[in-house]
Amino acid sequence: MPWVAPLSGKSVSLSRRTIYMLPTRHGFMFSLLLFVLLLAAINYENGLIYALTFWLASMAMISMLHTHRNLLGLKISAGPCAPVFAGESARFTLILKNELALPRQGLSVLVDKNEVGRVDLGAGEQGSVTFPVNARQRGYVDMPPVALLTDYPMGLLYTWSRKIELHHRCLVYPKPGPARPVVGGVDSQQKRELGTRSEGDDFIGVREYQAGDSPRHVDWKAAARGQGLQTKRFGGDARSIIWLDWEALEGIDTETRLSQLCRWVIDAEADGMIYGLRLPGREIKPANGEAHRHQCLEALAMFGH
Amino acid sequence: MARLRHHPDAAALNWVIASALVAMAPHTLELPVWLSFAVAGLLAWRYAGLHHGWYQPGRIVRYALTLFLAGAVFKEYGTLLGRDAGLAMLAGLIALKFIESRTIRDYLLVTFLLYLMIAGDFFYSQSLAHGGYMVIATLICTAALVRLNQDHARPPAISFRLAGTMLLKALPLMLIMYLLFPRLQGGLWGLPGDAYAGRTGLSDSMNPGSINQLSQNTEPAFRVEFEGAVPPNRDLYWRALIMWDTDGREWRAGKLLPLESEAPGKFGEPVNYTITLEPSNKPWLVALDRPSTVPKLAFARSGYLIQGRSLVKKRVRYDMQSQPQQRTGKVIEVIRQRSLALPDNTSDRVRQLAATWRQQYGNDRDVVQAALRHFNQNEFVYTLEPPLLGQNPVDQFLFETRRGFCEHYATSFATLMRAAGIPARIVVGYQGGEFNEGGDYMIVRQSDAHSWNEVWLENEGWVRVDPTGAIAPERIELGIDAIRRLSNQGLPLGSLSPELLEQAMRLGTLARAWRSSLMLWDNVNLQWYRWISDYSFERQEKFLNQLGVYAPTWLGMLAGLLGAVAVLTFGFAWAMRIRRKPKDPVLVVYNKFCRKLARAGLTRKPSEGANAFAERSADTMPALAAHIMGIANLYNELRYGEGSQDLLEKMRRLVKEFDLPNKGAA
Repeated sequence: MPWVAPLSGKSVSLSRRTIYMLPTRHGFMFSLLLFVLLLAAINYENGLIYALTFWLASMAMISMLHTHRNLLGLKISAGPCAPVFAGESARFTLILKNELALPRQGLSVLVDKNEVGRVDLGAGEQGSVTFPVNARQRGYVDMPPVALLTDYPMGLLYTWSRKIELHHRCLVYPKPGPARPVVGGVDSQQKRELGTRSEGDDFIGVREYQAGDSPRHVDWKAAARGQGLQTKRFGGDARSIIWLDWEALEGIDTETRLSQLCRWVIDAEADGMIYGLRLPGREIKPANGEAHRHQCLEALAMFGH
Repeated sequence: MARLRHHPDAAALNWVIASALVAMAPHTLELPVWLSFAVAGLLAWRYAGLHHGWYQPGRIVRYALTLFLAGAVFKEYGTLLGRDAGLAMLAGLIALKFIESRTIRDYLLVTFLLYLMIAGDFFYSQSLAHGGYMVIATLICTAALVRLNQDHARPPAISFRLAGTMLLKALPLMLIMYLLFPRLQGGLWGLPGDAYAGRTGLSDSMNPGSINQLSQNTEPAFRVEFEGAVPPNRDLYWRALIMWDTDGREWRAGKLLPLESEAPGKFGEPVNYTITLEPSNKPWLVALDRPSTVPKLAFARSGYLIQGRSLVKKRVRYDMQSQPQQRTGKVIEVIRQRSLALPDNTSDRVRQLAATWRQQYGNDRDVVQAALRHFNQNEFVYTLEPPLLGQNPVDQFLFETRRGFCEHYATSFATLMRAAGIPARIVVGYQGGEFNEGGDYMIVRQSDAHSWNEVWLENEGWVRVDPTGAIAPERIELGIDAIRRLSNQGLPLGSLSPELLEQAMRLGTLARAWRSSLMLWDNVNLQWYRWISDYSFERQEKFLNQLGVYAPTWLGMLAGLLGAVAVLTFGFAWAMRIRRKPKDPVLVVYNKFCRKLARAGLTRKPSEGANAFAERSADTMPALAAHIMGIANLYNELRYGEGSQDLLEKMRRLVKEFDLPNKGAA
């Protein structure tokens, strides 16, 4: 409904004024049934058919109250959203909290009039619905407006909420470029190429696969054994320090440069190197580890923003 | 809108199958056997498909089956429309729709149609049992609807509880709609003619033994609610028919006669009552002797009889007024001729007996008395098991067997009177009745069927004479049931002392209990009938009058209905308003304590634990340190240890007693 302002905020509670109600297609079918029954009752002057007709009609009215209450007072907030690489899908999580002493069933989450998830909540329970949104460009992707809808328990009427904007967004790293040797910036005696590996490299263990890891480092044997995707880590010349430098990639456009740097950050981290990042106007000191990787990738994602 | 869930789980479908079985089960009594089996077979086929992966029919097979169904129903009923054929088609189509259903939408449609089947059952009967069955079937169908709307299998009790809750909450709304929805006068298209099987009861001809065969039939013939006092048993003569013509053996109502006139003047207090007549498949209505009004949809017939405009094929309920002391005026010649006619085969012995009385007494009334004395003083016996009579029953009964039931006495008496030149006729109806104390109404059964006479006397008009009363006064005073009980005990009729009679009539405890439970059940059924089948335009008007609403318009009734429904719905909405989980009472008390401390400028930081906060507060206010720490300890105990009501009370008290030092002092 475009003429009503969406609900917005970090956390939203559905009040009487923000939810609406109409009969479903089945509701119209049901009223046709009631009409037929009423005609039969009138024509045959049949008391029991009158009774059944009015009982079903009353039941439909009562179901209206139940359907309405199924949404009323529901609390909606956004859950954390892990950063993704451009071209992937951001996975947004909607947290639904039922503060009632009664269960709520058959809650649907709508994005753009499409149902993206359904959830049942027990009394006082909290649940979540996760849905993907294409992350086309680096930077941020906003959580789209969502709406809640339910036709439980009878499916005769449905209640839906206004659009809800939670002002939540997901960080999108640049799309990783092709694996290429690091150009320039190697800050150690032993100049080496990333991406080509000599026999002497030490395998120092595995960690859980992260989006963007080079497929060459995935432990496919473990995956075949059903242990999930894991990335092999090599720590050959652990102490070598490498600078990933914007200036070293002169002559190509900004996005391709960022993509290339992104690939290098991923690989350097996967190889257990100590790496630093130099961007125009910003320098991240060489380090290693998840937080460092994120810092570097975030800097790339936000470059120019 | 694109939805994620289109197909119900297999378990949800079992609910639809169960609903179909429950909704269709009563119809197996009416549907052709092959159709019942076909429907059951289709349901079983779908079940096997769902749970055992059996082949399910494709579109062509389904279309072929539909055509076959239509053809077979047409062959069975000669039509596809109308009540019976329509229901048969509906049953078949539901089963066929079910077998092709795949999506939730399909199954919802099937379940909606099942409600139609539940309603269709009421075309055949609206009894209490059918009403009870409706409740169960509706609950199951509604629970199936709930189940179809559930994403995940949950215990069946949950669907049932929710469906039950909604249906229970719907009851008051339903009651308002039911009582206030304006009922029309007559149906929309007129009631279709429904065939009823012949019923036992009175018939418009009478042979010796024809009423006697009803004496074992305890089915109710009708029920009566009196507005005032109930007349004594001996005055409860219920008129239905008059037999005018006889061939010497059989008596018949014969051709129509003109209406009789009333004598001028007043006849004492009228009796007002309402009769609920069981279906008889006959046109006549019963009324207390003698009726002075004619109900709607009926007309008066000669001899103070009332006839419906159509056969009584279902229960009818009508208001009546009677005047027991009513007197008729002059008899017109046609009627006189008819009520004096005797067949040629009347025996000489009978004619002679009448002639003797005629010679002996000049007065007609004295002749009547002589006849009654004749019955009373000779060896006549009133019996439920009279001997069979031959070709000339009146002669044979009067001079040979002398054992008879009411019709033997009535026919003999009428024959004797006519032979003596006194106009006489036989009235057939019921005598007596059983009072239902709990329901404040009277049940008259087929076994109460009775026949008596009316003779026409100068200056008095038609006068009721019951020859049975001359032989067995117990029949008239106490009713047919008393006769049966006395004859079971081998006691003679007409000669018992009142004490002996009372003793013989007394029932045992068990018999009394059984009787009162039967009466209660009868009452429940009558009330059910009054409020379900008989709640028509007239009854609704009467009910609204009782509520103090006179001459209601249908617009006013609809407005009242909508208003009442709106009020009730808002009431429910209010009762169902959001209730959050009750707050932890420990937290409530602790927060009160924190608010008190806040007034002294001590606010608990979000990250600060209860202990740390208490210590900080105690440092700030050393005078109250013990008190503060006491409350904090209790809080910890209640929150993280094994709290008890006593501890909570203690904490509540401590918090209440906790007083901040005066601002000046601090």
